[in-house]
Amino acid sequence: MPNAAAASARAVQGDDLAGYGFLLPWLLGFLLLTLGPVAASFYLSLTDYSGLSAPNWVGIENYTRIATDDPRFITAMTVTFTFVLLSVPLKLIFALGVAVALNKGLTGLSFFRAVFYLPSLIGGSVAIAVLWRQVFAGDGLLNQALHTLFGYEGPSWIANPSTSLYTLVLLAVWQFGSSMIIFLAGLRQIPQDIYEAASIDGAQPVRQFFKITLPLLTPVIFFNAVIQTIDAFKAFTSAFVISDGTGGPIDSTLFYTLYLYQEAFTNFRFGYASALAWILVLIIAAFTALSFLSARYWVHYDD
Amino acid sequence: MTEVVRAPAIAFPAAPSRADIGSPWRRAFAYALLLAVTFVLLYPLLWMVASSLRPDSEIFHSTSLIPQAPTFDAYSRGWNGLSVGFSQLFLNSLLISVLVVIGNVMSCAMAAYAFTRLRFRGRGFWFAMMLGTLMLPQHAVLIPQYIMFLKLGWVNTILPLTIPKFLAVDAFFVFLMVQFFRGIPRELDEAAVMDGCGPLRIFLKVILPLSTPVLATAAVFSFIWTWDDFFAPLIYLNDIEKYTAQLGLRTFVDSAGQSDWGALFAMSTLTVLPIFILFLMFQRLLIEGIATTGMKR
Amino acid sequence: MLSLTQVQKRFGAVEVIRGVDLSIASGEFVVFVGPSGCGKSTLLRMIAGLEPISGGELSIGGIRMNETAASQRGIAMVFQSYALYPHMSVYKNMSFGLETARMRKAEIDRRVRKAADILQITPLLERKPRQLSGGQRQRVAIGRAIVRDPKIFLFDEPLSNLDAELRVQTRVEIAKLHADIGATMIYVTHDQVEAMTLADRIVVLRAGIVEQQGTPLDIYNKPANRFVAGFIGSPKMNFLDVSAAAGGGDAATIGLGASRFSMSIRRGFDASEPLTLGIRPEHVVTGGTAEIDLGTLAIVHVEQLGGQTIAYGRLADGQALNVVLEGQRRISAGDSLPVGAMAGGCHLFGSDGLRLNS
Ligand SMILES: Nc1ncnc2c1ncn2[C@@H]1O[C@H](COP(=O)(O)OP(=O)(O)OP(=O)(O)O)[C@@H](O)[C@H]1O
Ligand SMILES: [Mg+2]
Repeated sequence: MPNAAAASARAVQGDDLAGYGFLLPWLLGFLLLTLGPVAASFYLSLTDYSGLSAPNWVGIENYTRIATDDPRFITAMTVTFTFVLLSVPLKLIFALGVAVALNKGLTGLSFFRAVFYLPSLIGGSVAIAVLWRQVFAGDGLLNQALHTLFGYEGPSWIANPSTSLYTLVLLAVWQFGSSMIIFLAGLRQIPQDIYEAASIDGAQPVRQFFKITLPLLTPVIFFNAVIQTIDAFKAFTSAFVISDGTGGPIDSTLFYTLYLYQEAFTNFRFGYASALAWILVLIIAAFTALSFLSARYWVHYDD
Repeated sequence: MTEVVRAPAIAFPAAPSRADIGSPWRRAFAYALLLAVTFVLLYPLLWMVASSLRPDSEIFHSTSLIPQAPTFDAYSRGWNGLSVGFSQLFLNSLLISVLVVIGNVMSCAMAAYAFTRLRFRGRGFWFAMMLGTLMLPQHAVLIPQYIMFLKLGWVNTILPLTIPKFLAVDAFFVFLMVQFFRGIPRELDEAAVMDGCGPLRIFLKVILPLSTPVLATAAVFSFIWTWDDFFAPLIYLNDIEKYTAQLGLRTFVDSAGQSDWGALFAMSTLTVLPIFILFLMFQRLLIEGIATTGMKR
Repeated sequence: MLSLTQVQKRFGAVEVIRGVDLSIASGEFVVFVGPSGCGKSTLLRMIAGLEPISGGELSIGGIRMNETAASQRGIAMVFQSYALYPHMSVYKNMSFGLETARMRKAEIDRRVRKAADILQITPLLERKPRQLSGGQRQRVAIGRAIVRDPKIFLFDEPLSNLDAELRVQTRVEIAKLHADIGATMIYVTHDQVEAMTLADRIVVLRAGIVEQQGTPLDIYNKPANRFVAGFIGSPKMNFLDVSAAAGGGDAATIGLGASRFSMSIRRGFDASEPLTLGIRPEHVVTGGTAEIDLGTLAIVHVEQLGGQTIAYGRLADGQALNVVLEGQRRISAGDSLPVGAMAGGCHLFGSDGLRLNS
């Protein structure tokens, strides 16, 4: 028995060595670049650190100031929530509609699928933000088209604070392709015989969509909704490029991440920005938790 | 999160052959609709490319997709429009992206191999930690990381953009590879053990060669995401000669933006071009990657 | 040459192999059989070095091998799924282990070609596994074992993925291979015919314990207990509840329904102990020549196999009894048949399940 214990100890140790050897890069990354910074950022959020002098402990002052005395925070929240609550449902509805249309056994599926996917592949780049800036400018493509087609002289959609955010929503919806691909894959998983059974039962296409397709697709809808919402909360590049990093005009595109960026990297209020970062993390976490709780009531799982 | 937000793990089965769209009219209508969507989606893109080939005077007066007298003038203006040539910026982007690809593929594959194939104490705990980081927004670590790199003197070098990738910080790719490795029969490892292989040789000679699809997926997405990334270079790179193409383009907006749209469109087109080429080359891989893993873009 | 002493295996708290003693001679062909989940594969994998041994000792050629790396044990293994490397050619599949051992190229080539020759797969050497049929893959898997020139071959249900015809053919080839190269072979199977035809010795396992080991005929003729008796032989042995009318010394009088007969036994027992009489269906006698009279069998179902006729029925006291009759018999459900047995064809088991008669 002592022999055996020694043997298995040795065998285990052998794997320990190899295991930690292979895991080492990840482990270093986890400890140094994730765990450490998470703790540090929480600590910083309770200080007034500015990068110049040592951090002074201020307790929850940053948080109370954010909650009670920061109009730009309120603006950023409003802008971000408006963006999330508009862009995600629109994007998903559009993606689902196109996916359902594509799933009807049309030839050319792979062509359309690829073409529709392209915008979401490149949509996050600076180039597309630049393009958007031109398209919705006063003398931009959209107004040219409106002029040619209807003789309508449009305003600068970008410079107008009441419309600027909607150009960004549009940009997000334009990138519906990856959600569509996931919907398509989900639609393909629904067994055809269910539809055949429903047809025999006399269910019309519209009824089939609402009574069969949609319920069976809820796990995929849920997945897409969570992923896209988290992504929308984190949106940054397009707003930054289109507003020249200001979040303007008059803070109408001040995404939360943009505000965070300004506080941290133009005003060097690291402590305050850390508190902002934690609030964002908590919002995303709360939103995710809420989705999961609600999922019990509307997501249909087979198993 | 793996519990409920699991990507529907599926590839594309053969298209349903059901002649669902019975009448030719409905079929034609469906095609018309899809083509209309295609047109609206692609029109701005194509117009951007067309405009980059136009003289500036024409840009604001033409909604057509065919330039009257195509010229590459805007390209040469744009290429040298900054104090540093775009060639330098593209090389910077390329260097960073290639390093990130190498770092991500290597380190994530190693971690995934450890998680799926090696029995060591604490494995379950670390795996849970890895899953936990999957959904952690980077904002939670952003500022301390920045301060750390600042203290290390790494700011304004490519190190903060590349070194972390060699430490498998993109948990998503680890997860992707874990899923793939789990599908490789364990008996192959055991056969290799009988053939005298240790963990390293099994990794190199059995697991990696069998994992080319997932390695390629990770490589292509790594490249595209890094090439496209704006936030990290914005924070970490200060000198214009160290800029990536994305940063350069955005600087160009400020300097030339309002006056020389042609040059701006030319450079925009060029920065998107590598991604477009990868898209053409790896279309299937990308689309299947999205479909089976639920990657966001 | 290979011996296991009180070998144990635990997965966490679950003891899967519970003290196995076994010693296998050089050149012997040993087959492990047992119900699913009894630990056959686990035992084999412990011998191979794929599974650490939790207790006891494994020695090969008199040397303790518990801690020795799998590749250093002089063992080759053929996996149930073949486990061929999908990305390597057949040649590379066979040479990979030798390359890992840094053997000279010329020697590797010689060995691979020789093995390919033996297995008649030379024309396939450049193919990838996915371009092979199941039977061809099987041969490559065996080839990969042969090139290493091992002292011991391990097989884990190697034929279970083949169709019936190929299975018979490959079985014969494995027997021939054993005769040709004379290495020790340990073979795990579910299939009784494989076990009976291939084995020099069968080891019957149940729940991590060796229930019996011996030559195939030994095990067939003298199953050590009820479990082995039921497990070996097809169709399954009949078990009848009997009573001991009188017992003592080395003979007992057994009562079954109205009939009484005497059997020689190995140990005494209580008159109240419930006993079981085992008779293989093929050993039931239907003429008047039986030494033991079992009464009349009411037939409920008949299967005609062509060469044999199988009758399912009930004895007068309601106990089920199946009979295998040679040739084609004109009987059908509803008929009744006088049945009996020869004393030599009967097995008596005590209430502990152990064999009672000698
Ligand atoms: N890695 C493991 N962890 C925990 N239990 C295991 C493990 N491997 C095997 N077991 C258990 O050990 C027992 C023996 O398994 P083994 O594979 O040896 O059975 P077997 O006799 O080969 O069965 P089969 O005929 O179905 O192949 C089973 O109950 C199985 O569930
Ligand atoms: Mg088994």
